[in-house]
Amino acid sequence: MSEVALLRLEGVSKTYRGGTRPAVDNLSLEVRAGEIFGFLGPNGAGKTTTIKMVVGLLKADRGTILVNGHDVARDSVAAKADIGYVPDNPDLYDRLTGIEYLNLVADIFGVPRDERRRRVAELLEMFELESAARDIIQSYSHGMKQKLALTGALLHEPRVFILDEPMVGLDPRASRLFKDMMRSHCDKGHTVFFSTHILEVAERLCDRVGIINRGRLVACGTVEELRNRRKQADETLEDIFLELTEAGEAS
Amino acid sequence: MTRRVLSLVLAQLNMNFAISHSRYYYLKKRQRLWEPVLIVLGIGGAAAMLAIGIYTAASYYYSAAAAVGQGAVTLTLGILLSQVLVLILGFVLVIAVFYFSNDLGILIPFPLRPAEVLVSKFAVILANEYVGLAVFIVPVLVAYGVRAGVSAVPYVVSSVLVFLALPVVPLVLAAIPAILLMRVVGLSRRKDTLAMIGGFLFIAVVVVFQFLVQTKAPGVGEEAEFLAKMLATADSLVDIVGARFPPSIWATKALALSGTWQGLLNLGIFLAVGALGFVALLAIGDRVFYQGVLSGFEAGATRGARRVGKVRAATYVSRSPVVSLAVAEMKLFTRTPVFVLNGFTGFVIFPVMLVAMFFVRSTPEMARLWDALFAIPGLAAIGTLVIAGYFFILTAMSSIPFTAFSREGRRNIWIPRSFPATGKTVALGKAVGAEIMIALGAIPGVAVLEYLVRLPVLSVVAGIILGIMSSFVLCVCGVLFDMWRPMLNWTDQQKAVKSNLNVVAGMLVGVGVVGLLGVAVSFFIKLGFPAWGIVAGVAGVLAILLAALMKLLGTIADKLWSALEI
Ligand SMILES: Nc1ncnc2c1ncn2[C@@H]1O[C@H](COP(=O)(O)OP(=O)(O)OP(=O)(O)O)[C@@H](O)[C@H]1O
Ligand SMILES: [Mg+2]
Repeated sequence: MSEVALLRLEGVSKTYRGGTRPAVDNLSLEVRAGEIFGFLGPNGAGKTTTIKMVVGLLKADRGTILVNGHDVARDSVAAKADIGYVPDNPDLYDRLTGIEYLNLVADIFGVPRDERRRRVAELLEMFELESAARDIIQSYSHGMKQKLALTGALLHEPRVFILDEPMVGLDPRASRLFKDMMRSHCDKGHTVFFSTHILEVAERLCDRVGIINRGRLVACGTVEELRNRRKQADETLEDIFLELTEAGEAS
Repeated sequence: MTRRVLSLVLAQLNMNFAISHSRYYYLKKRQRLWEPVLIVLGIGGAAAMLAIGIYTAASYYYSAAAAVGQGAVTLTLGILLSQVLVLILGFVLVIAVFYFSNDLGILIPFPLRPAEVLVSKFAVILANEYVGLAVFIVPVLVAYGVRAGVSAVPYVVSSVLVFLALPVVPLVLAAIPAILLMRVVGLSRRKDTLAMIGGFLFIAVVVVFQFLVQTKAPGVGEEAEFLAKMLATADSLVDIVGARFPPSIWATKALALSGTWQGLLNLGIFLAVGALGFVALLAIGDRVFYQGVLSGFEAGATRGARRVGKVRAATYVSRSPVVSLAVAEMKLFTRTPVFVLNGFTGFVIFPVMLVAMFFVRSTPEMARLWDALFAIPGLAAIGTLVIAGYFFILTAMSSIPFTAFSREGRRNIWIPRSFPATGKTVALGKAVGAEIMIALGAIPGVAVLEYLVRLPVLSVVAGIILGIMSSFVLCVCGVLFDMWRPMLNWTDQQKAVKSNLNVVAGMLVGVGVVGLLGVAVSFFIKLGFPAWGIVAGVAGVLAILLAALMKLLGTIADKLWSALEI
């Protein structure tokens, strides 16, 4: 595995305006090329807030975020060009057709014509969306919208693929496909950073995981490392998660 | 770079005019084909009638002005009025489209400069303005062209260019303060409230400004005297009228002198100023646009510990379902800046206009008008009717009841639908909520009127009672209409309250009813009916209407409610 950090957060903090405590508190982490990183934490821990700061939907109060070496605050356009992002609730353009949406995304990310054609065909086939692609997005089911959002985010082969709870709403076949896809995306030397509540998936799929509780990173490393650190080799990720986040609650 | 922006602009326009959407429903699914036909016929007919009316007025005005060699002032006035209209409506539109579009969460993660997103949003507003402006200004341009006997080709070319550039300057003038306002209020906890207040202040300032400009312009019928005075000062009327807003002079000269070097020069200046303004907007927007948008993503104050007590208090309150629904309706409306800026505009414009009118009383024509007003026999009773009519007109213009269900949108309409409440309860709740907002909104206008005209207390009280009755009848009808055909598929909140045909229908009905009533009342007065007798008659009719409506509400609302498919 290469040692290049494609995504790097250094001392990032965010307090929502009027909020009493920080939603994200002095968070530092690094995701390297070729790595799938799972971002875990209880409800309200600050996962979505962190992701939104990375993709530019929120501004960090403190700290720096580097995407493939570009500072999100100073060089946002370059940073965004290296990101593919799927939000937790993919609200797409209801009034466009699937194809129109994909073309818009491809234009904005500057995907060349041939490549665009190839990748759109490939991804639509993979997600079994070809027949729906010419319908307006309004007529899609939740899962179909999510697949279209995934397709759009993958069109430009992003160096950093960021997903907020990507498994919610996908059927078993799609979620299997999707997991394979994340793997192959990383095998090309890119990275995947995703938040999830499904610990089994994280345990099996992720090269490394980070656990966030009340805005602070309470653990980070391979599942193996986390286990060893706690000197209880038979613990599951679920045990570790529950203990760590409970401890955070008490303090 | 250009390709990206172009693609974005085209997608935005596609969504704005629902092109793919209509293609899908009307051509692919072959659904409700009669609907677009009806809409096109209805809107086209109304627009054509309006255009013909404007054409006639412009021709008439031209003849009067041309008699003293000042025909071009027709153009100046037309252009000036259109630009003021764009300025007033533009501010709200800019705030709604720039800051409250649903797609900002998609656009901001895209690798685009803020200015690029701004261009695409500006293009959407501009496109909408062109549609509206075409009805207003094209008849004026045609009337002048026909009457003044201009040489066709240069005039048409200049007209097209002037038309295209016309809304740019006022929109820039609205957008720059709007962007700065949203940047500043974004720093505050109460940003929504501040945005609304700032918006109304802007509208009030523009209305007053427009009034000052207009009082310098002659009204049809008194121009001879006015023009004689103006000509004596050797100033061109065009310059006087346009002095407060020079672009309208440049546009006038570009058109009136089209085909000459001077016309070309003025055209050049007009276009250059538009372009410059646009560039300035982009330069400012690139710095501050995103900051305002991002602060909008953060919910306002959450006050932590102090909330606990309130939660307990709130859970113990039980109300009748109608009251709870009405309270919810008011909260949802007043906490959404776009709704408030659209729905409450009338509440602000009318009193401001009254005050402005009062302060220009110093001009002899206005003083005469006021004196005539005070001399009306039976002023007290007529005042009652005017106040009642004011409530009614406000209701029609506010769009609140006519969007009661549309505003919920596809995302939220399931919430009231899943309540264990009858259609009647839901409709009443929404109508009561709308009525309370409108009645409160009418207070400033009534207060100003009372201050200026000094009506007896009795007629004010009677007017308010009649006003609430009449407005409530319209509220219930509006809510039922919107329950029948809600527009749930909007892309942003502005569409729900502005581009909603139910609102247009409401306005037409409202204005029509008030017009008819006005005619009827003056007819009865001419026949010698006592003014208070007419008031009593109106009250009686309203009472019967209300009783009948309440009786019917049960069956109608329940049927509509269960027929509403989501
Ligand atoms: N738009 C917002 N405005 C104000 N506060 C917010 C906003 N969004 C989230 N918060 C607060 O920030 C904190 C972190 O929320 P965040 O959405 O990041 O959690 P999360 O880890 O994604 O949770 P979940 O697992 O439920 O998605 C919470 O305390 C929440 O109340
Ligand atoms: Mg979340």
